[in-house]
Amino acid sequence: MIKKYAIKTWMEIGFIIIITLFIARPWIEKGLNRITIFDTKDYEIDFVDDSGYRIRMKKPADSVISLYSAHTENLFAIGADREVIGVGTHSIYPYEVLLKEKYDYRSDPEKVIAIHPDVVIIRPFIERHSPDFVNSLRRSGITVVSLYPDNFDEFDDYIMKLAKIVGKENTAKKKLEGFHKELDNLKVKNIDENKRVGVYFESSDREYKTITNNSMPAYAIELAGGINIATDAIPIEEGSSIAAYGVEKILEKADEIDVYVTQRGVMGAGGNYHSISIRPGFYAIKAVRNKRILEINQKIISSPTFRFIKGVKQLRRTFYPEIYDEIQEFDEDHLITREEFAKILVKLNHDVIFIPTSSYYRDDNKEHYYGALVDVTIEHESFDYIETAIRKSYLKSEIIDNEEYFNPEKYVTREELARVIYLLNDLENKIDIIINDEENIENIKIVKTIVSNKLMDLENGKFYPKRNITFEELKKGLDL
Amino acid sequence: MKKIVLFMLLVIVIMSVVGCSQPDADKKAMVIVSFGTSYADTRELTIAATEDVFREEFGSYDIYRAFTSQTIIDILEERDNIKVNNVREVMELLTKEKYGEVVVQPLHVMNGAEYDEMSSIIKEYEGNFNEVKIGKALLSSVADYEKTVEALATQFPETKDGEAIVFMGHGTHHDANAVYGTLEYVFHANGYKNVFVGTVEGYPTLDNVINELEENNINKVTLMPLMIVAGDHAHNDMAGDEEDSWKVRLKEQGYEVETYLHGIGENEEIRKIYLTHAKKAIEGENE
Repeated sequence: MIKKYAIKTWMEIGFIIIITLFIARPWIEKGLNRITIFDTKDYEIDFVDDSGYRIRMKKPADSVISLYSAHTENLFAIGADREVIGVGTHSIYPYEVLLKEKYDYRSDPEKVIAIHPDVVIIRPFIERHSPDFVNSLRRSGITVVSLYPDNFDEFDDYIMKLAKIVGKENTAKKKLEGFHKELDNLKVKNIDENKRVGVYFESSDREYKTITNNSMPAYAIELAGGINIATDAIPIEEGSSIAAYGVEKILEKADEIDVYVTQRGVMGAGGNYHSISIRPGFYAIKAVRNKRILEINQKIISSPTFRFIKGVKQLRRTFYPEIYDEIQEFDEDHLITREEFAKILVKLNHDVIFIPTSSYYRDDNKEHYYGALVDVTIEHESFDYIETAIRKSYLKSEIIDNEEYFNPEKYVTREELARVIYLLNDLENKIDIIINDEENIENIKIVKTIVSNKLMDLENGKFYPKRNITFEELKKGLDL
Repeated sequence: MKKIVLFMLLVIVIMSVVGCSQPDADKKAMVIVSFGTSYADTRELTIAATEDVFREEFGSYDIYRAFTSQTIIDILEERDNIKVNNVREVMELLTKEKYGEVVVQPLHVMNGAEYDEMSSIIKEYEGNFNEVKIGKALLSSVADYEKTVEALATQFPETKDGEAIVFMGHGTHHDANAVYGTLEYVFHANGYKNVFVGTVEGYPTLDNVINELEENNINKVTLMPLMIVAGDHAHNDMAGDEEDSWKVRLKEQGYEVETYLHGIGENEEIRKIYLTHAKKAIEGENE
């Protein structure tokens, strides 16, 4: 009887233990990862990731799948383009990632497991959103690293962790040094206190949310010399960079808001120019009245990447266009290059630099794709001006043997200038004049209209469309 | 005796249950279905204004709104706290409210994929009402094309030789994409020779339209959306200032370009066509 009872009890205990172990499996797995006493091997890489897992690797990874676009971008920035063998579905920057295999954490983990990369890099959001996917990877023996810097202070540490994973610490250190140096140089210092612009940053149009004081956009506003008018905003939860604000508080400060910045590029982000300008009561806001609403892609202002520099530069141009959109002066007979032309036009029209969203590449019919220029890569000093000028259709790229070129050093022709003047103005077509070298002109309607409106001149009745333009001609044509 | 009383009670219970779930023959609802827009200004001028016209015309019907775009419904709910039903939700609501007659009038341009999807959802609920009727989209019969052409002509600016009107339609993979070519044909047949119709996502494309502009020696173009609302497509794809907008693509070819940023839902004559379609549906002429 006693024996029989004992067996039953033991069975029950055993059953409870098995159930408990099964339920507690994720925590046990996580815990075992942190125990080191049983493991005396030397690990070259040893740190705790942002989901609390201890990451130990004997040597840097040679094959990485990065499932978050910011990680991908940063890995490319520190020279790990070869090591990255796969990227998330939203990765579009730099252009080269488009050639990488795409992986989706919302689908079957088998696709990743089959490749068996050394490391899969995620962010805590993916862990929360798709725990089964992530656990399947871990169980299959793949090292999963979860990283995300909550604020700007953690950026360097985050980049160095990424660098450790792929063994690019030296490159990363240099990159960070350059990044901080550039930010220091960008810092707007010489603005009188009474001339500094008041800024409201809309992070989401759902309940009019803004940003917290330690967020990346708040830091960008500070660097760009703006005054964030919503420093009294309360974070929606501890550690979040999003803060509740509300329409009443915005309208209370309507007169202090010189520039209204709205973050775009993801669902649930800020409103667009049109929707903000038609909101009831918003006409009271100084920035809305003066049409100073900036739509900025969240990738360059809120995302932890080196492109944050672009965000700061854009804010400076929008806050103080009289300084940062000032057009460089040249000698009157200076011939204008295409690079100079792009820069002048973007500054003249105060165009917001173009940053594509992932939907941009879905259209496979474009003449030009952002980032595809062979002679103007992302490292090029005027990359943003040139890409924006192409986006605005001021200038075209040239395709030779399936490769795209911009030819930044080439001089701008008279016909190219005529085309831009026509695009930028609403001119009435006047085509009843005679031009003697009509046969050399690509678009006669445009040239005749420009000449008829006396924006460019003929010489002996000829237009000379292929001739290069001087700074003097450009000033006259664009009314500088 | 006891058995008779029990039987009578049972009959009463059954009758009352059956009676409760029966629609009320006097209750009539009309649902105005559109894709929807998150832009409040154009929504008021087009969808809401059209609903007002229906309210005036069909006084005995309660007018309901439904959108087919769940994305827009979600944006409005999360952002503006505005609740708009999708087609399924509105049919559930009308069932609950025990409407006897339900008339659904879509504000679609064509009887395309969205119309089909909407109709199949409505069909699932047919049994819950005494009568369910679905009105046709704008371009359904030959008479519709004739009327639409005349309605749209009311919004044309005065045009001289060498000037054209170009409509931007959405375009679809559905067979109904043929409406765009047909509409242009009817414009020309009715004497509006310099009116052309293109689409953003279907056929004819803007390139097709540009060929026609060239053939007809056009110099100046007024762009108009062939869409109920002037939303994202009208603001960006049609009148935006980036390389792929129709305005920029036409300007770089040397056309003077004007833009007309009003959805056809603002056009009173177009609204009348939808009213006629709803009337026909009520009269059972669509069957």
